[in-house]
Amino acid sequence: MEQPQPLTILIADDNPVDRLLLASILRQFGHKVILAVDGRDAVEKFDAKTVQLVCLGITMPHKNGWEVAEDIQCITGDLFIPIIFLSGVVDAVALSNCLRVGGADFISKPYNTALITTKLNTIVRLLVMRRTLEEQRDAMALYNQQLLNEQDVAKVVYENITHSNCLNDSALSTFHYGTHTFNGDVILAAYKPNGGMHLLLGDFTGHGLSAAIGALPLADIFFDWTKKGFLMRQIIPEINARLKGILPTNMFCSAAFIDIKVNDKSIEIWNGGLPDLLFFSQQSDRPIRFASKNLPLGILSPELFECRIDPVSFSSGDRIMAFSDGVYEALDGAGTMFCDSVLPPLYKGEIRAEESVDWLMAQLQQEDVLDNPHDDISCLSVRLDPAIGIDSSRHLVSKAHHEAPADFSFDYVLHADSLRNTDPLPYVLQILTTVPGLSRFSSQIFMILSELYSNALEHGVLKLSSAKKDSSDGFSSYYEERERTLANLTEGFVKISVKVTSDRQHRLLVLYVEDSGVGFDFHRASYDTSNTELLYNRGLGLLHRLCSKLEFSKGGRAVSAHYCWQVGEES
Amino acid sequence: MVERFFDKQARCLTISVKGRFDYNCHKIFKDAFSAFDATICYVIDFVEVTYLDSSALGMLLLLRDHAGGERADIRLINVNGAVMDTLKAANFHRLFSITE
Repeated sequence: MEQPQPLTILIADDNPVDRLLLASILRQFGHKVILAVDGRDAVEKFDAKTVQLVCLGITMPHKNGWEVAEDIQCITGDLFIPIIFLSGVVDAVALSNCLRVGGADFISKPYNTALITTKLNTIVRLLVMRRTLEEQRDAMALYNQQLLNEQDVAKVVYENITHSNCLNDSALSTFHYGTHTFNGDVILAAYKPNGGMHLLLGDFTGHGLSAAIGALPLADIFFDWTKKGFLMRQIIPEINARLKGILPTNMFCSAAFIDIKVNDKSIEIWNGGLPDLLFFSQQSDRPIRFASKNLPLGILSPELFECRIDPVSFSSGDRIMAFSDGVYEALDGAGTMFCDSVLPPLYKGEIRAEESVDWLMAQLQQEDVLDNPHDDISCLSVRLDPAIGIDSSRHLVSKAHHEAPADFSFDYVLHADSLRNTDPLPYVLQILTTVPGLSRFSSQIFMILSELYSNALEHGVLKLSSAKKDSSDGFSSYYEERERTLANLTEGFVKISVKVTSDRQHRLLVLYVEDSGVGFDFHRASYDTSNTELLYNRGLGLLHRLCSKLEFSKGGRAVSAHYCWQVGEES
Repeated sequence: MVERFFDKQARCLTISVKGRFDYNCHKIFKDAFSAFDATICYVIDFVEVTYLDSSALGMLLLLRDHAGGERADIRLINVNGAVMDTLKAANFHRLFSITE
């Protein structure tokens, strides 16, 4: 026969004969017995830490068994200590009362040893089962706690990565509501080294952790490549390739990428799967819509991926706005989607551009969407201005005063194939920023370098005339022509020569750029930047301002720019 | 709700989705398109679809993958209204043949 494990049992019975008889039966099986002579004695002797089973007489002086049962249950709280009633009566009502107050079972008198043994075995099994359950419950609670802790840590890491940006720039207004701890929507903003800004609003399939996980590589590439000076048209395919590589087939990221180019006062817009972006020009009554022309990121293989980009020129105070599906598909009180019920006034230009974000948020609030969103919701709006991102590198100034001397030079010559397929600037910049003290001026250097290079490429090698940029329309056709002629380029070159000499007294960078074009009449070049409305020819004035010396040679085919820099805080 | 019909002659599988095409259809939609071997073409009938979310777009991508990726012959038919807008916004007409 199965031998139950020994228990500590409290017996309360005012009948001494029955009490001792039961005690001796239980001791016989190895159990430890505590005896109480009446109800009050039972409550006093009950110790929840040691007693595992309670046997109670029903009718006892001072306190009857049912009252004792209630008192004991008060003391035990969550602990499970079964109670068995001892009964001389076989009154069905009295017995069912025992079960009603929480009794596990009852034993009838006169005592039958075999019956008591069986019942005790059952109780032991119950106790074991209960303990297992409790252990599992505790393990679950612990596991859940660990999970929450891990999520908190992950959330910090996630936010550090996806928010390490310039979202607090005063030109930006954004809002962001998630349905989970982790948000499947991301808004990223980063200053470019040559002024201006890259912005990305992304919406991953699904919500929560699984959606957020794709945001990490996305943010990583976005910030890293922007900092290194890569262009939007280079960053987007890289993000697509990475997401395609890591996400499962049914997951992707709908996104909008905006490149704010302050040098020629234009923006470039890439929309892959997001609702139309809205460009509020002060010259137009209603916003211009930029519909998605691309598949979302992470669907096409790198070979098939193409970047369809819309360029548009802006003047100070124009705005661009983007929002995620969560806004477009939000349901109003009547169950109609926002795109049909709420958004039309925005599309028709009835909402003032500078109020559009606040207005949209108020609509979402009013229709009760923010309190129980079905999808992650995010929105961004930028007040466009040629000052965006200028001087941004000041925030990142390193405090190091000492510097090691540097003295090197190199030539980098790109012929037709490489002109078509590579962008040399990030690589040149990377080498230049290895010079101690020079890295903090990377944004100015990048600006000089990119002006020189694009002049050489566009006007020298591709022979494009910048007068074409003279209107908003001409502006996009200029870029189309640039794309087309570059794609068909079979001959020509651009040579970039870099010379750095730096010691304690003199710090000089000479950038020499030569192209295979026909040159131009540099004696008539204008360095005037006062006409800010001019869409082109702003580059030379900019160069003139940044460089200590700007010198043309070879009939305008070559130019060398001298740049001196200071070390320490005196700038 | 998802129903399927397999034309053995043409080895063409027609899947009709009814009501909201969203995450709740995930398993049944996946079961529907993987049920028959040697399917040559797939037709997804949207006539009774009222709404399509991004996880449904994901399911279509799964089907495309299953049907051979670039070589897949998948037609989305009877696509209208908001569903068409969603598919167009995602530029899915570059991956699938879509008709009204």
